[in-house]
Amino acid sequence: MDSEAARTARDSLELAFQMSNILDTGVDRHTLSVLIALCDLGLNPEALAAVVKELRTDPSLPSTIPPDS
Amino acid sequence: MEDQKVLDLVKELVNRLISQPQNPNPNPNQPISVNPNSSSVDLNHSHQALRYAIRILSSRMTPSIAVDEAAMAESIKRQLVTQGKSSEALTFADLYSKFSSKTGPGSINNKWAVLYLLRVVSEDRKISRKQPNSTVSRGLPAIFDSQLSDNSRVSRDKERGWSGGVLVVSKDPENIRDIAFRDFANLLKEENEVSEEVLVRDVLYASQGIDGAYVKFDENIDGYALSDSIKVPRATRIMIQKLCELGWLFRKVKGYISESMDRFPAEDVGTVGQAFCAALQDELTEYYKLLAVLEAQAMNPIPLVSESASSGNYLSLRRISVWFAEPMVKMRLMAVLVDVCKVLRGGAMAGSIHMHAQHGDPLVHDFMKRLLRRVCSPLFEMVRSWVLEGELEDIFAEFFVVGQPVKAESLWREGYRLHPGMLPSFISSSLAQRILRTGKSINFLRVCCEDRGWADAATEAAAAAGTTTGRGGLGYGETDALELLVAEAAKRIDKHLLEVIYNRYKFKDHCLAIKRYLLLGQGDFVQYLMDIVGPELSEPANTISTFKLAGLLETAIRSSNAQYDDSDILDRLRVKMMPHNTGDRGWDVFSLEYDARVPLDTVFTESVMSRYLRIFNFLWKLRRVEHALISTWKTMKPNCITSRSFIKLQQAAKVKLLSTLRKCQVLWDEMNHFVSNLQYYIMFEVLEVSWSNFSNEMEASKDLDDLLAAHEKYLHSIVEKSLLGERSQSLYETLFVLFDLILRFRSLADRLYEGIYEVQARSTDDKKKPSRQLSGKSAEPGSWATEGRKALTQHASKFLSTMSQELDDIGKKYSSLLTGFISELPVQQHIDLKFLLFRLDFTEFYSQSRPNI
Repeated sequence: MDSEAARTARDSLELAFQMSNILDTGVDRHTLSVLIALCDLGLNPEALAAVVKELRTDPSLPSTIPPDS
Repeated sequence: MEDQKVLDLVKELVNRLISQPQNPNPNPNQPISVNPNSSSVDLNHSHQALRYAIRILSSRMTPSIAVDEAAMAESIKRQLVTQGKSSEALTFADLYSKFSSKTGPGSINNKWAVLYLLRVVSEDRKISRKQPNSTVSRGLPAIFDSQLSDNSRVSRDKERGWSGGVLVVSKDPENIRDIAFRDFANLLKEENEVSEEVLVRDVLYASQGIDGAYVKFDENIDGYALSDSIKVPRATRIMIQKLCELGWLFRKVKGYISESMDRFPAEDVGTVGQAFCAALQDELTEYYKLLAVLEAQAMNPIPLVSESASSGNYLSLRRISVWFAEPMVKMRLMAVLVDVCKVLRGGAMAGSIHMHAQHGDPLVHDFMKRLLRRVCSPLFEMVRSWVLEGELEDIFAEFFVVGQPVKAESLWREGYRLHPGMLPSFISSSLAQRILRTGKSINFLRVCCEDRGWADAATEAAAAAGTTTGRGGLGYGETDALELLVAEAAKRIDKHLLEVIYNRYKFKDHCLAIKRYLLLGQGDFVQYLMDIVGPELSEPANTISTFKLAGLLETAIRSSNAQYDDSDILDRLRVKMMPHNTGDRGWDVFSLEYDARVPLDTVFTESVMSRYLRIFNFLWKLRRVEHALISTWKTMKPNCITSRSFIKLQQAAKVKLLSTLRKCQVLWDEMNHFVSNLQYYIMFEVLEVSWSNFSNEMEASKDLDDLLAAHEKYLHSIVEKSLLGERSQSLYETLFVLFDLILRFRSLADRLYEGIYEVQARSTDDKKKPSRQLSGKSAEPGSWATEGRKALTQHASKFLSTMSQELDDIGKKYSSLLTGFISELPVQQHIDLKFLLFRLDFTEFYSQSRPNI
């Protein structure tokens, strides 16, 4: 990856992180970068958001996760 | 490989999320709280979490809204603003613009997804923060939190139902209501397979004539409808159907426009049709603008005063129905107009659109007015160029004035006419007539009079009316301006035309000439002519030469006062022989003709001249009868010669002679009375009165049509009053029989006096040769000498008795015809013959002898 692309990627991440802060999402920079990567891979953002919500609101509640079917 | 990458990333994500140290909003109400110490649980938990995450991700969850990055950013910004964080909104907008400008390698491809993700995460967090005290603070829970996906909501509800199970009974009885609401929401969700945002999007598509994902055009019901396989409540279905009427109307209007435009070069759509299409296109552009705004707004939340309540998308089906109310009215109107105008063109199209403009609703009225201004502009342009320049710029036959190629003399009467089908109803027929006449006048001046002065008059008129002579000076709704322009133009052009006709072409002089020569107003001329051509005309018609008669006419002109008349007028006077049958005399076919020439032949057309000819023939006959009676009088005038001759005769023969002569005198007198009074009536009651009226009307006439009407009236009144009209046929026939009788009387009287002169000559001879006998008629002059006086007397008395018998015969016929004629006079309804009757029956001779009159 050449430095130009790397800088662009870094800038984009930085901007996205700032927006995220303004929107008060509570997502840290690293998590955000993972999420962006997943988005770019074509995953549904709505589903990703659901994952973030589910796993974060009650992180210590394993029982909320229904058993596999 | 891709999957592996995804899996790795998901693992990473789950780890990050679970190991997040801080709970952003520590929740005291949550009964079971964080348990950070158990590491085995932690491991197991992370494993479970990962599986759960993969399950969520692999669910067939699709974004419920359209992919539109800018709209999404805008929506986020608005949300921030409505939350009262305007400075943050600005910062966000700034960041977004930078963010979106990052392109190329290394940048984020799916920017929309990132934005959407951020937004949903932020909202979820906000909700989760509110959730704990929601049962207390919220009154009615929102049934739909529309931004949330179904699955997430369902899972959350399940979680709540499960986790709050204890609370339901013990602490929070109100939760029952909450849960009931949630159940209801689920029920609704299940019923609605499709969320409202999607339907709104589809309706917006359908209203542009595009099939959406669910709302499609159905050929069977001829309209847009939600396909039956999709489960939605009836109310929604009906509402969508109602909203999609707009789409149907739109298709229709759009179809008409594209059809007309496709047709244009090949067929003649016409300028009005083109203007109509352009106006419709403009209205559609306005409509597109509205749709674009609606679409942009579709995803924004409804701005609310209270921050606490979460709101749905700005556009719901109900909101759309409010937004569509006005475009729907317009679109309906357009569709109606399109239907009406399909088969119409030109003025008819403008007229029928105008009929629809008569509407009380100010919205409709304004709309139609705007449309009509556009539609009518070609028509008004035509009117303007027609009225001011006399040009018929009408390649598609749309104008209500139609021109026909005709000869110059019928240009005025037949060259142009109104096409009633193309006359729009906002132009009254009187105005249309004036428009027609003004343009016609210009053309008449140009073609027939070869005049150029009208251009100045037209410019002056345009200046007076306050419009420029350039294009586009008039428009629909300015009927007053149009009327003013037409009135000004008409006034000036007509004035100019009349001036040309009066001054340059001496209309009045020609009328007077016709009156003097064709209507025998010039007495001395008629007298001369009658004297000269009389002998010639007694010959059979086929032996008479027109050239000779023309020469005689010339002589008559030279020897009468007519010679001082304008040579131009005299040149036009000609002899005309009418087509004759065998046995016709010259009298029957002779007539005079007046050559009117362009442009006066517009007034004196062939049919007019043929009526003049009829009048001339009648007057000529009357003159001839009068002439005949006068010449008879010359012979039968009592003089010393005749009176002396009677002395010589025997008493019986003398009495007979005297009584015959007396009869002849009486009859002549009666006839003379009739003819001279009829002559008087025709000359003074008919010709002069009509002429005087005509002169007055000629002075007052403002345009050529007035002049034509005045002339027509003049001619009509002469024809009617001279008993030449259709309704006076019987009178006219009686009159001609009377004339014939008078002519017979004339020849009889001539014969009688000839005989008397012979007898007289014989008896003067007898004084010298008393033995000589009179043998009667001139047939055997040689035998007279041998016959004696007795025979002479016998012969004379025989001759006299036949003469007297014939006179009696004529007299009887004459008097019966005359009384018949007179008795018919008062019952004529259509003309006033009071004066004629009065003059004929001045002494009440006829009314006393026939009391039934």
